[in-house]
Parts: sequence; structure tokens; C-alpha cells
Amino acid sequence: MSSRDIINTIFGDFQKSLDEEQEIREKIRNICKDVDQVSREITTVLQVIHHDESAISAACLTARELFEKANIGYSKLKEVVPSGDYYKYHDHWRYMTQRYCYLISLTIWLEKGILATHETVASVLGISAEELKNGFHLDIDDYLVGLLNLCTELSRLAVNSVTRGDYNKPLQISKFVMELNAGFRLLNLKNDHLRKRFDALKYDVKKIEEVVYDLSIRGLLPKTETA
Amino acid sequence: MSGRGRFRGHKNDRNHGHKSLSSVAREAAISLPDDSPVLQMFKVAAQKLNDRQDRHERLVKLSRDITIESKRIIFLLHSAITIESAEIKINEANERLQKLIQGPIKSIGLELENSPAYLHSRAVTAGFQEFIEARTFCSFLEKKLLISWSEVQKELEYVMEEKSVTTMLTQSDYMLGLADLTGELMRKAINSISSGDSNDCFESCQAVKDLYTGYLGLFSIDRELSRKMSTTRNNVFKVESAVYALKVRGGEAPPTLLLAAQPDWERNNHSDDEGFF
Repeated sequence: MSSRDIINTIFGDFQKSLDEEQEIREKIRNICKDVDQVSREITTVLQVIHHDESAISAACLTARELFEKANIGYSKLKEVVPSGDYYKYHDHWRYMTQRYCYLISLTIWLEKGILATHETVASVLGISAEELKNGFHLDIDDYLVGLLNLCTELSRLAVNSVTRGDYNKPLQISKFVMELNAGFRLLNLKNDHLRKRFDALKYDVKKIEEVVYDLSIRGLLPKTETA
Repeated sequence: MSGRGRFRGHKNDRNHGHKSLSSVAREAAISLPDDSPVLQMFKVAAQKLNDRQDRHERLVKLSRDITIESKRIIFLLHSAITIESAEIKINEANERLQKLIQGPIKSIGLELENSPAYLHSRAVTAGFQEFIEARTFCSFLEKKLLISWSEVQKELEYVMEEKSVTTMLTQSDYMLGLADLTGELMRKAINSISSGDSNDCFESCQAVKDLYTGYLGLFSIDRELSRKMSTTRNNVFKVESAVYALKVRGGEAPPTLLLAAQPDWERNNHSDDEGFF
């Protein structure tokens, strides 16, 4: 084989692998488009929490139903992505997954007032929480970014529940977010996306504190220890 | 929780029954239990993140080791002037490449044995590219043939007593390294002019052209590779003009003078990446 033949083979093989990669990306893109649309729908459904207290549980139920749809989407994604190539194509579903982490943890907080763990969120999506050599899992960074998004949404909810006359919820939110804040401080964050997102958490905390402060100096806080 | 906090606020001398914004924050912080499930979960997450970062750092270090040694191997290969010395140096380069394969490259394979591929590809890509540059350059000088991606990948499979490990070399790292090879071939071609070996020079020049043709034919390449293309193109221009000078003025002057007699269009066209020749 001459030098030129070898070069031709090298480039031919590479082009072939590029083509295969493009094909996979196309499939991933199509699935992600559908799954992402569901996440937008859930986001819209859950917006009701900011103005109608009584509709919250109904919204959670609707969200739960839609999570089932997302679950199916993720199982399709799992099939298309070659096992072991998770991080090669991660960018396609990174933001979408972060949004799901936020939506799922918000729903669970509204339902039970507790924090959804990494494992819980992963199981709602029907994927593994464990990072193994092969397989489709929920990346830890994505999960944590989802929690930070949750804090932002809760800071908004604190304001809006006061407007609605619910003086109890801000306290519940304050406690929950402070705990998350303390948790995030345990992490050694590099100068990456997660770190930047974490730096914005203090504004959410501040907003919630101001709400609690306003309530407390006006004697509007509930007297019982319900928080 | 708030009730208790409020009570504390009363006892606080500085506040004297008044609430301040900072006392709200302090109370919320005090009311946190040390070992709540939430904090437990974050401790687990912190461990996971730390592991990932530590692994990344180790890989960056290995990658840097590979880069340095590969650069030295390339330098060694350039230093050969006569055919006899070239043979000795190629042998030495091969030995040192083997040491790289059995040393840091193997360590990368072991390090990544249980973690997903591509998660750390950013940490190791520089080392692999430089290694490919050295490996392909060595095989080109030895046999006048390039070693393909699958052949290199095969060299990175290790069979040990209890298990076998493969250091994954991505095809795109290989192609990026091969793009860098055009720079070395260009330098080689120009060096062979000064050592009077015009045949060698034409051969290297032809290889640069063939590689460039190959890269031109690719489509849907990623950003990093397309960025390398401009350097590759410059290499092609440089080598072509050098060979042109050799051909046109070859009979007129001793080879060393030819280097000074670069065509005008080449004089101000140096790229930082490949240095000056």
C-alpha cells in the first residue's frame, strides 16, 4: 500500500465515523426536542403556584403525569445513545435535564416539603443515578444546577405567597433554602458552570430573608411553630 | 423554628427586641441541624465532585508529561542529519515512544478504567495529540508510511495478568494530531533542503499535500479541527514555496543560500504556532 492509499483510508475511515456520529446526533436532537417540549409544558403548569394556592396539588398531579411522558422520552434517549458515549453527546440533553431536575424537585417539595435526592430525581426520569463506565445516568452537576434553579423559583414563591396572604410559606421556604445553602457550601466547586450558578444563590437567599424580615418586624409571622 | 429564633432575638443584646435583617439570616443558620439528611446528601455529592476533580487533575498531569516527552521525541527526530544517524535516532525515538505507551498512557487507561469515556477527554486531548504527532512522524520517517488510527489504538491495549485495559484514543484526537504532523513534515522538508537531500524534501512535501487534500475533503468536522485547518494551510503554502525555490534556483546556489532566497510572498507569512524556519 502506498503512502497515498494509506492517507485515503485514514480520511475515509474518519469521514465514516463522522457520518455515523452525525446520524446519532440527529436522532438525539429529535428525541430531545420532544422531551424538551414536555418540560416546557410542565413549567407552564407549575406556574399556577404563584397565584393560586388551591390549584397547587392539581398542578402537581398534572406534572406527575407529564413526568411519565418524559420518562418514556429518556428511555428512548437511552436506546439511541451508544452505551459508554454518554459524555460525548451530553450537551444535547444537559440543559433539558437540569430543567427536569428543577421541576421534579419543585413538585416533590410542593407535595411533601422535602428535598428530592439525586436518586429520587433519577428514578422519576427512569435513569440511573450512578456514574458508571457504561450506561445513561443523571449527571451530578446537572442535578445540583437543578436544585439551584429550584431555589430561585422558591424565592419567587416566597414573595408571591405573602401577596396571597400566606405568611407561613416564606418561613418554610427560608428554612429549606438555608439548608440547601449550607449544603452547597460543603462542595468544593471549581470555576465552572456550577460554581457560577452557585454564586447567584446568595441573591435568592437575600430575597427570602428580606421577605421573612418584613414579616417579622410587622408581627405578621405566625405565632405557632408550624414552620 | 421561627418562634425559637424570635425568642433568641429578644435575648440578643445588640438587637434588644428589634429584628434586623442580619438577625433573620443568623437565626435561620442557627436553626440548622448539623446532620440533617439534606446535609448528608450534600456530603455525598461533595465526595463525588472531589473524586471527579482529583481524577481530572491527575489526568492533566499525565497529559502534560506525555506532551513534554512527545515534543522531545519530535525534536530528536529532527536532529538527524545523515542516513546513519537517522536510523539510530529513529530507533531511540521508537524506544522512547514505547516507554510513553507503557508509562503515562497506560496510567491514563488505568485511571479511566471505571469512569465514563469523554468525561475527561478535555484533560487528556493535548497529550494525545502531541503523542500522535510524534508517533506518526516516527513511523513516517521509518517506513515512509503513516500509521493509522486503528493501528495506534491497537498499541494502546494492555493485557495484564488479571485483566486487560485499553486506553481509549478518540479518532478526533488522532486527526488533530495528524493535522499537527503537517507542521513537522514541513520543517522536515525544509531541513532536508539545507542538508542537500532534495528527494527527502519532495517526499515530505508530497505527504503534506496529500494530508491537506484529505482534510479538505472532510465535512461536518468539529470546531477544534476547523481551527487547526488554517495552520495546516499555512504549512502547505510554506512547504510548497520552499520546494519551488529548490526547483527553480536549485542549480544555481548552494542549498543554504536557497533558504535565504525565499519567494517574496513567503517572507511575511509566519505563523506563531509553527515558528520560523
